[in-house]
Amino acid sequence: MKKGEIVGILGPNGAGKTTTIKSILGLLIPDGGSIYIADRRVRPKDRWIYRYIAAVLEGNRNVYWRLTVRENLEFFAGIQGIDPQRARKRADYLMEKFHLIKRENDQVRLLSRGFQQRVAVAVAFIRETPVLFLDEPTLGLDVESSLNLRKTLKELVTQENKTVLLSSHDMKVVEEVCERVIILKNGKIIANDSISNLKDLFKTIAYRVEYENSLSPDLQNQLKGRFLNVIFNRRSFIVEFREPNELYDLMDLLKVHDVVIKSLKSMEPDFERVYIELVKGGS
Amino acid sequence: MLRVFLSVLKKEWTTTRRYPMNFISSLITIYIIFFLIFIGYRTIGMGNPDYSENLESIIVGFFLWTFAIAAYSRLSWGIMSESSTGTLEQLYMSPVGFNTIAIFIVISDFIISSLLEIPVVFLMMLTTGRWLHIDLITLLILFIPTIGGVYGIGFISGGIALVYKRIQSFFQILQFLMVLFIMIPVEKYPAAKILPLTLGNHLIKLNMTRGVPFYKLPLQDLLILYLNFLLYFLAGLFIFSRFEFYARKKGILGHY
Repeated sequence: MKKGEIVGILGPNGAGKTTTIKSILGLLIPDGGSIYIADRRVRPKDRWIYRYIAAVLEGNRNVYWRLTVRENLEFFAGIQGIDPQRARKRADYLMEKFHLIKRENDQVRLLSRGFQQRVAVAVAFIRETPVLFLDEPTLGLDVESSLNLRKTLKELVTQENKTVLLSSHDMKVVEEVCERVIILKNGKIIANDSISNLKDLFKTIAYRVEYENSLSPDLQNQLKGRFLNVIFNRRSFIVEFREPNELYDLMDLLKVHDVVIKSLKSMEPDFERVYIELVKGGS
Repeated sequence: MLRVFLSVLKKEWTTTRRYPMNFISSLITIYIIFFLIFIGYRTIGMGNPDYSENLESIIVGFFLWTFAIAAYSRLSWGIMSESSTGTLEQLYMSPVGFNTIAIFIVISDFIISSLLEIPVVFLMMLTTGRWLHIDLITLLILFIPTIGGVYGIGFISGGIALVYKRIQSFFQILQFLMVLFIMIPVEKYPAAKILPLTLGNHLIKLNMTRGVPFYKLPLQDLLILYLNFLLYFLAGLFIFSRFEFYARKKGILGHY
């Protein structure tokens, strides 16, 4: 990973994501291989790595539920050796960023899951390390909470130029936050590239056509026979071409059959589909 | 390092305050057990020429026993609960190292327990009507190595908890062992001085019941007490770090 890079680590259950992260963090001693942090080889007894890396593991756990938001932040800053005054200021800043300021004196056990998760992520940030590992930071969050956390994460990571390794089952988080993605399967890397390059691998020339009147069965058969793939829905269909020029053929065919076109949209491959295809195909 | 220690102390104190019923009920339990022992002893031992001195020894021994139980079980309970809440791995990721954090946890616990259990000792003295000598300097000089050695055993059980997670039954065995260590008379069995608690209990008894200050205690005994402390504490730490290495090798550090 390069400095300031945000890398996503994906894979089906049991692929080795958490094992990889815990091995780098020194929480697990790997059977083989070597780990380098800031160009230094890490040995099982090394403690200096914790000046470089901090982590959120397993969502909303990792924090003391009987301590308040502020107490948690200041405690973890304290065991990192950060000066109490500096820790207080940093806690203020992070609580502001994660919208926790109104709940600063509430015990974590009294907060909703979304808030607890924010506290867990803020705890990783308070350690002031240049590298962050986020294992499922949005696990179990509803759509809105996940969206808010993603926004704050992206903003802070960019602002503080953090290097981040993020593991998540939520493709939206990965797509929105990460620049590069590593996909693991059975402990091996099956893809390692930017999201746009991975999408290109599965790029098809596809359009979604919305129409006003109905399509005759004869026209439907003609479309199916002529183009690579056609999926019919109510008042719309998705058509995939072998060649870009086939769009003109489609237009001609629809005109001949007096189909009134309401809209025509080019379709981008969805990252979730790309991921599924890669995992299905990867060995 | 001091910052880290103060953070741990503050957190331990805050956590104790957040579970008030737990702490109050544990103090009440200690007192009730002591009261029952006292009633039992009074029924059997009244009229015995050594009644008074034995009663004072019971107070000292019982007080030490409750401290010893807290000393060996605190770290293991802490590890068990921190594993289940997911905070153990976060503590592990401190640059000062988990062993240091564990030492800070036991020191903080020692300070907090000492402060909170003092009223119970006074209550014990009030109940029995026997007032012990309270010489704080001598007490500290004797108490720290005596309980410190038991913390070594606490590190071993903490290490076992890291690997095997639930070890409550093991605590019960230790509980009886602690009674045995306290009850062995060193005047009769000098070799027992190498056991944890035994010599410390003897010297604390001399101080609290007869008022012997530390500078009048046999120097050889004081040396053995401190060597004993170092031996058990360091051996405990070493065994703890071996268990910790094993837990990391097996990938079960944060399991529960």
